[in-house]
Amino acid sequence: MIIHITLLCLGLFILPSVATAQDPSSTYLLQLIERADHKHLHQHRYWHLLLHYRQNFFGGYTSEVDDPGFFQASEGKNDPQAELHATLEKFFSGDLVGRSKQVAQCAFIARFQWLRAQLKFDETRLPLHHCERYEQWVNELNPASITLIFPAAFMNNPVSMFGHSFLRIDQQDQTEHTRILAYTVNYAADVPPGAGLEFAFKGMLGGYQGFFSTIPYYIKVQEYRDIENRDIWEYRLNLSPEEIHRLLMHTWEMGNAYFDYYFFKENCAYHILSLLEVANPQFHLTDQFHFWTIPADTIRLLIQQKDLVQDVSYRPAGSTNLKRKRAALQPSEQFWLEQIIQDPSYAIAPDFLKLSQPRQTFLLDLASDYLRYKGRTDSKQADEYQTKNRSILLQRSQIRVPSPAFSVAPFSLSPEQGHETARMGVGIGWRNDELFEHIDIRAVYHDLLDPNPGYTPDSQVELGALSLRHYHGRNQFRIEQFTLVNVLSLAPIDSWFRSPSWKIRMEMNTVKTRSCDLCSNGHFNVGAGGALETHVFQREVFFLMGEVDANVSGAYDENHRIGGGVSGGVVANVTENWKWLASGGYLGYFLGHRSDDIQVSVGQRWTFAKNFAFRTTFTHHDRDNELLAVFHGYF
Amino acid sequence: MITRTVLVITATLFMFATTGVALAAHPDNGPGCGLGKLAWNSYAGQQSIGAQVLQSTTNGIVPSQTFGISSGTSGCTNDGTIFASEKVNVFAAVNFDNLAQEMAQGQGEHLTSLATLMGIPAEQHGVFFAMAQEKYTTLIQAGETSPKAVVKAIYSAMGSHPVLAQASSTK
Repeated sequence: MIIHITLLCLGLFILPSVATAQDPSSTYLLQLIERADHKHLHQHRYWHLLLHYRQNFFGGYTSEVDDPGFFQASEGKNDPQAELHATLEKFFSGDLVGRSKQVAQCAFIARFQWLRAQLKFDETRLPLHHCERYEQWVNELNPASITLIFPAAFMNNPVSMFGHSFLRIDQQDQTEHTRILAYTVNYAADVPPGAGLEFAFKGMLGGYQGFFSTIPYYIKVQEYRDIENRDIWEYRLNLSPEEIHRLLMHTWEMGNAYFDYYFFKENCAYHILSLLEVANPQFHLTDQFHFWTIPADTIRLLIQQKDLVQDVSYRPAGSTNLKRKRAALQPSEQFWLEQIIQDPSYAIAPDFLKLSQPRQTFLLDLASDYLRYKGRTDSKQADEYQTKNRSILLQRSQIRVPSPAFSVAPFSLSPEQGHETARMGVGIGWRNDELFEHIDIRAVYHDLLDPNPGYTPDSQVELGALSLRHYHGRNQFRIEQFTLVNVLSLAPIDSWFRSPSWKIRMEMNTVKTRSCDLCSNGHFNVGAGGALETHVFQREVFFLMGEVDANVSGAYDENHRIGGGVSGGVVANVTENWKWLASGGYLGYFLGHRSDDIQVSVGQRWTFAKNFAFRTTFTHHDRDNELLAVFHGYF
Repeated sequence: MITRTVLVITATLFMFATTGVALAAHPDNGPGCGLGKLAWNSYAGQQSIGAQVLQSTTNGIVPSQTFGISSGTSGCTNDGTIFASEKVNVFAAVNFDNLAQEMAQGQGEHLTSLATLMGIPAEQHGVFFAMAQEKYTTLIQAGETSPKAVVKAIYSAMGSHPVLAQASSTK
């Protein structure tokens, strides 16, 4: 019995290869392969796009896809030609292939349709399969147009500090009020729940698998607008029906694939661009990015494509909505709002009912928005907020007039209007009466003194920044500073919003101490505190933080000093283009080299074009004074 | 034992997401997916979409595989899209809080979207919104037992409505 089964299996195994020798379909396959080779289809840009091939160091091609099931040839990841031959062969087969377990013609429908058009398949010799699952899927998506969605940066989740991007498949017959029913095409790493610091490392180094998925837009809106309080920007793309068709066929195909996820380069924004390239191979998008893909940069690139981005719309974050509506209240209305939030029964107080009905609805709606916001952010008292919200909504339902229209303006311009994310500067300065020339270059992204438009207010993310100097007196070239990470988030506190402000910094810098004149120093600093906002000039944010500070340098006894202290300061927009940042702090070091340090720093920046700015800074440390003036260009 | 723990965790997440929804105590094991049928009893591998979707509202992360493209039929998704029969229920459960607010206000994009999913013609949306606002209390009370019940209550309110009865009877 066992022998019999084994024989049968062998028989099944052998059968196809025997068949290929005489079968008419195999002669046709050989003809197709010959024709494909003759036309060099395996070198065609479209074949490379469909298989995500990139030129490798050795001049050959390697696919970015890491799922073996995506390739029909065993060496398909590195051999576009073998993959093309094997794909053609699989088109003759009824075997189920790939993660999605369909016949190859349907699992890889974009490849099939492209090769069919290129090689003019004879349907009598290569029977067509009907791809019912694909058709159902497309019918369900019901595509009419494509919109690129960009939820702005979210500082309190490091994964989101550069923003995110995905596509929305707008449906036929949709209106602006039913956009949320559309499906999205989203690329994300599949991260197990509860991954903390581990995520940072694995996410950067390709330790997770990334997949495409079609999450309904209403879930994404809830996630970004309601839960994470991120503004959402929507860019309507001008794609033809054929382009949309190609994009969706390929998206379907990508259900069979995963990529190793790399936070900096092969991330959401990068793979979304790869879909758009398949839609229209005239676009050269992914090859503009070599080491990192910042979502806002990909939007700037799309805007530069002729006639691609049709219009931009804005969906305010829950917190933006609250702030704007609260700012629009009269003082007396603010009083009522606070009362109602404390005790919803004020909503039926005779004096409240004397307000006009539209104002009543505006206040009740805002109170409800606020209580829902609190319910989401303060889980301990969520029940109490919910009960209050119910009472307010009950009262609201009694007032049968529509809420007054209110347009919520963003606090920052749309991301594509911001400066470019890489920066280079040249400058000159004096350090302790010694003249120096200065050059700096930064990989990404934005610091507090960079021009504001397009960036999340009061936030700073700098990665990979290097500055070099030449000191005249001693005729010395130095690596003055290398910043690995420099992140800071200020969150102004008021009666409604109470998020902490925080910062973290890892760098190498140059210090001057009693024992050492200009020594390299490894520096780590982390702090947390609070911030307040005023509007004396245009807008000022004051901050105060407690912090821990560690230094490793030959300049210190025992080669290190570790301590803590406080720092505070103010960042002020004086005019649209002129910004100041002043800060000071005290640090006491009680481990290693016992010492203390008083620091003062004052800087100002003038923006004279979107991508050009000039700044001066004065910094004072213990026995170290420096003045620096730099021109910055963003590219 | 593990199944039981998972059940409790899932139920807790669920209750967090839609506080007041007492579905956890009465798992519906009937046909369909998602909200009525959180597959707690057969948890072993595949998490049901309802649980995942509702977890997403607590921690903001939907496992991408829930809506995986061409992944074949799993839970209540069909190659990453939601089965037609479950669309209204999934929408109502995920957006229950938004819907409650917009019903009280008699307008809003979630309410418009719900009306569209229910097949109410655009010219009757105004009537539907007015009805939802008028019957707000009854409908939301129904919603406290389960998100599915609010959908049911809306349909039955439509059934006794002179204009909307037509749209509801086609369901």
